Amino acid sequence: MTNVNAATRVLFEDFPPAAIVVFYVIAYTAIAVFFYGVYVAVRKYRRGAAAAVAGSLRARFWAMVETVLSHRTIARRDRPAGAAHRLIFYGFVLLFLGTSTITLDYDILGPLFHVHFWHGAFYLWFSLVLDVAGVALAGGLLYMMYRRGWLKPPKLDYARPDRKPGDVDYDRSEYRREDWAFLWTLLVIAVTGYLLEAVRLVWLEARPDVWDTRWWSPVGAALAQGMRAAGMSAAAGGAWRLGLWWFHGVLALIFIALIPFTKVKHIFTAAGSLMLRDPLAAQRLPRVPEQQQRVGAQYITDFTWKQLLALDACTKCGRCHEACPARAVGAPLSPRDVILSLREFANRTLDAGVLPEQAELDVHGKGPGQVAMETLWSCRTCMACVEVCPVAIEHVPIIVQLRRKLVEEGEMDPQLKKTLQTIHKTGNSFGESKRKRAAWTKALPFAVKDARKEPVEVLWFVGDYASFDPRNQKVSQGLATLLHDAGVDFGILYEAESNAGNDVRRVGEEGLYEVLATANIESLATASFKSIVTTDPHSYNTIRNEYPDFGGRYAIEHYTTLLLRLLEEGRLKIARQLGLRVTFHDPCHLGRFNKGYDAPREILRLIGCELIEMGRCRSNSFCCGAGGGRIWMPDPQGADRPAHNRMREAAAISGLQVFVVSCPKDLTMFEDALKASGNEGRFVVRELIELVREALSERQLAPSPVAA
Amino acid sequence: MKILVAVKQVAALDEDFEIRADGKDVDPDFLVRDLNEWDDFSLEEAMKIKEASATPVEVVAVCVGPEDADEALRKCLAKGADRAIRVWDETVVGSDAIAIARLIAAVARREQPQLLFAGAQSADHAFAATGMAVAAFLDWPHAAVITQLTYTPGEEGATLRRELEGGVLHEMQIETPAVLTIQLGINTPRYASLRSIKQAAAKPIEVLTPQELGVPESAVGEAGSASRVRRMYVPEKGRAQMIEGSIEEQAARLAQLIRERTGGAA
Amino acid sequence: MSGILVIAEQRRGELRPVTLELVSAAQQLRRTPDERVAVAILADEPDRFIPEVSVAGVDEVITVPVAAKDFDPDALEAAALALIEARKPAVVLVPHSIDAFGWAAALAVKGDYGFATDVFRIAYEDGKLIATRGGYGQKVNVELEFPGKPVVVVALRASVFKPPEGRSRPAVSRFEPSRAGTRLTGKEFIEASAGEDDVDMTSAEFILAIGRGIGEQANVERFRELADAVGAVLGCSRPIADAGWLPKSRQIGQSGKTASACKLYVAMGISGAIQHLAGMKHVSTIVAVNADPGASIFSIATYGVKADIFEIADALRRQFPN
Repeated sequence: MTNVNAATRVLFEDFPPAAIVVFYVIAYTAIAVFFYGVYVAVRKYRRGAAAAVAGSLRARFWAMVETVLSHRTIARRDRPAGAAHRLIFYGFVLLFLGTSTITLDYDILGPLFHVHFWHGAFYLWFSLVLDVAGVALAGGLLYMMYRRGWLKPPKLDYARPDRKPGDVDYDRSEYRREDWAFLWTLLVIAVTGYLLEAVRLVWLEARPDVWDTRWWSPVGAALAQGMRAAGMSAAAGGAWRLGLWWFHGVLALIFIALIPFTKVKHIFTAAGSLMLRDPLAAQRLPRVPEQQQRVGAQYITDFTWKQLLALDACTKCGRCHEACPARAVGAPLSPRDVILSLREFANRTLDAGVLPEQAELDVHGKGPGQVAMETLWSCRTCMACVEVCPVAIEHVPIIVQLRRKLVEEGEMDPQLKKTLQTIHKTGNSFGESKRKRAAWTKALPFAVKDARKEPVEVLWFVGDYASFDPRNQKVSQGLATLLHDAGVDFGILYEAESNAGNDVRRVGEEGLYEVLATANIESLATASFKSIVTTDPHSYNTIRNEYPDFGGRYAIEHYTTLLLRLLEEGRLKIARQLGLRVTFHDPCHLGRFNKGYDAPREILRLIGCELIEMGRCRSNSFCCGAGGGRIWMPDPQGADRPAHNRMREAAAISGLQVFVVSCPKDLTMFEDALKASGNEGRFVVRELIELVREALSERQLAPSPVAA
Repeated sequence: MKILVAVKQVAALDEDFEIRADGKDVDPDFLVRDLNEWDDFSLEEAMKIKEASATPVEVVAVCVGPEDADEALRKCLAKGADRAIRVWDETVVGSDAIAIARLIAAVARREQPQLLFAGAQSADHAFAATGMAVAAFLDWPHAAVITQLTYTPGEEGATLRRELEGGVLHEMQIETPAVLTIQLGINTPRYASLRSIKQAAAKPIEVLTPQELGVPESAVGEAGSASRVRRMYVPEKGRAQMIEGSIEEQAARLAQLIRERTGGAA
Repeated sequence: MSGILVIAEQRRGELRPVTLELVSAAQQLRRTPDERVAVAILADEPDRFIPEVSVAGVDEVITVPVAAKDFDPDALEAAALALIEARKPAVVLVPHSIDAFGWAAALAVKGDYGFATDVFRIAYEDGKLIATRGGYGQKVNVELEFPGKPVVVVALRASVFKPPEGRSRPAVSRFEPSRAGTRLTGKEFIEASAGEDDVDMTSAEFILAIGRGIGEQANVERFRELADAVGAVLGCSRPIADAGWLPKSRQIGQSGKTASACKLYVAMGISGAIQHLAGMKHVSTIVAVNADPGASIFSIATYGVKADIFEIADALRRQFPN
């Protein structure tokens, strides 16, 4: 009868003491190398600029643990990868915990307190769980190999759009080799682990407490059966065991030692990055401290330690690369490659014992690891990259910091320069006189209250495009009519309103942004109102998230939530159901930035539209291309544009009648793109307000879209 | 070596402007002020010489104008000018280009620059005279409408190109010190970020009165001018006959006009 | 002071035609029928121009030899100053030209004369000389007077006054100025080099010109295509040429070639900055297309279309299918 309680594994069985010593020397050396790597990394991060971490570290820690354990961010938009990584993660974690448990028993509790627990039922269940964990690990790894080697998803193509073949840092084969090495090493460790398990069983077949409990390690047992069937003797098993033991052990220790020097470090850096994340990173950009000499990021040491840590968290998963609208149309920008360039640069300069001369730390340019102007200016600050990154890297603030330096030097497109000067002079990007800001109200049959002169309940912050662009003026007039009919007490600031500054800030002209924000906050201070509503998602974002940093705190909503409320409360009565087949384009600054996905959809439902979602919708909405100041810069000749790309996506919806938008820049971009992409006549572009007005009216107001 | 750059704060008309009660100028409420576009180029040219020079070059901006002209000077300081001078007091009101030039010449006598730049003309009134008038007051060599300049601080003389009608360039050699008026397109003016403009606010602007420059009251204002405004008025509104209608209708009428005027050649 | 003195402008051995426009303008300034209009030719070989300036309305031609072959402001100023001091005319007319930019103001200062530039209307009212010019970017008119200035130098805008028809037999005299030292020496004239896309604007009869309103360089092509379709030569305003979107030879405006043969001019996205207006005011039919109803160009255009230039361009293109 087998003594179950006796079941255990004798560590270092039959090892001469010298061998054990050698093992421990190797082990401690590996751990020392590991800690040295950690030291180099921490030294690198500390060479960055200071940064505050808001909120409690404890809360952040537990939030990170929850995110990591749930694998929520990895499974998003790639469920197979999420599943496979879960297997690898849990497999590895369990195996690691297992080894730690053994160390705890053998090296700590045993010698110090004479307590041993690693035997008996505990040991047997332990063995089973770890065998299963190993299978999970190996399974996950094999899937990932299949994914890379056979499926070859485009986002794992490391070809970079910001370098040309022939450039020093164009070639990415080193990354690919590292990726495969990582996969193979772990797989070999796992497989040799099972083989080791099996040969030990063969070696100790004569011992009942080992052999009779062998099926608690099912994979090892199965392999052992096979080995015996193939004629392996106990002695041979012992010999194999010795060889495999050293091989498996040393390989595992080398793996651990190299963690801080390889992709494997993402275990820690990803956790760190997730723990330190700023959920409003792209929505609320940082101010420039008053006394700061230089503005923006010129040297690698201008980035904060948090940002340098985040650079190390990138695993080249390619989700940001895939999501980026600039990359999608062939611009020389991939968010992934900005991060990787900066990381390579940081490693090359900041890993060194002695920090190089400041001149060598300049990250701007076309040299290896540097970021070019064209790359930075291609960004639309749509935050698709930030939103999808599984390890919470914040690309947009990094790009804006780099842009701030370019703006100080005046290195930008001449048209952008002019627009910034125009905004400074006239307070709007159209160069129109301030007095004309409210000219759109003159066509209305009623007067719009001047919020500077009389108190209003709702202050409507109109925005540049909605005030000056003829097509958008019609929409403004439409909303004014709706609000008037619903009896909403609203007013506008007339000439006291300036460009809210959202895009000026994202271009990197922080000085001008401060001027605009301060001016608007002063204007708002002269008015008396309960809340602000705006038709412009860009204004919405900056007033909501960034004005508080300048002393302006308001209750603000985008018109979609206000309109929904008015419809639901019956203050606006729907006269007819439109029965149109529509799709809705989530504006970046309303949807992804501020989670405003539902109100517009609910409105469309209420007015009887059949909503067919595009593939890239809600948080994955595909930017129209106007953000980040790009609407003030010319597009390269002959190139594809994000808005055209989006039109093609919409055109694939059969029977589509209306492409619905709720942002003035979207309206402008998509109306142009409709024509330029050859879709004129197939469907129309309409602002949500225009559809609502149709639904409230007994008769048709505007020429009908293609008949239902 | 010093370069004196004379700049002007010009005024553009706002929508629905009104003429002042005395009928001689526009109501200042409707004027939007900014640095003269030509002066961006003059200042940039001075900065180019300064930055390329092995020996130190001081760039001084000077403007004749009231307090709000400080904004134009701040922009110059933000772009790299070392100092700024503003000339003003109430007696300057009513000065034309010649009277203003007299004041700038007085500043030049004080500062002793090797080069004096002015814009070829101003965006508001386009007299295109101030620069050359300054040269006459100083009796310095002078050339106008410069589209290219080659000058090395410390060397005698400069090579320049004037841009003539029809796109022809006239290359000439001038003795220094000299007064040059700068044409658009001579260079690409740099951008002055708002931050640099704000920081320039810390640099002092020296304010001088005509008296301090030794220019008597009889030589400024209307008394010192070569012309006087009798009347300013809005000319009869747009002669253009507007073609109305939808886009298609307008285009059709346009096409008709084209066919008529070109004898149906198209 | 009496008499009107016209100072002729010549360059590279040719009389600039604007001189004759000045003669026309001078006629309006005769306060009495026998007030004399004289044309002074300041050149190294002034005699060769005598026949050309002997047009109707010229009473006297004064030849003034100056040392330099090319433009020399010092010499011109000294010679003109001496001549004016000797003759004491009431009004001295020069063109508002690039050359005059370089010396007229200096002359006025040296002689302490009255001075006005870019004048398009000039006359005596109640015995006072009144010169009218533009202001605030040509959005207003300004009437100038010259109290206390017995001699007034006026630079007249080109293409406003029609050259006289008919010829005259003026008296010819010679004036020897004192030598002046030259501090500005001409070296060479450089023609705008002819590139592939260059064009001779002086012979174009129908011009379609684009301005800043076209937005970006990528849009130049569609207007080039439109110009081809409607049979026009594509021209542009200064900012477009400065930015390199079109060659300088296609620039219309003060520094560009005068499109003297042009009969029909369609300006799209051009607001009408002063320098541009100078280049095409003489055209008989000007059509301005601009989204801004307040654009200055509408004040000198014959026809105006207040619309988005791209929409008009597309629609117009459709009118010429070929």
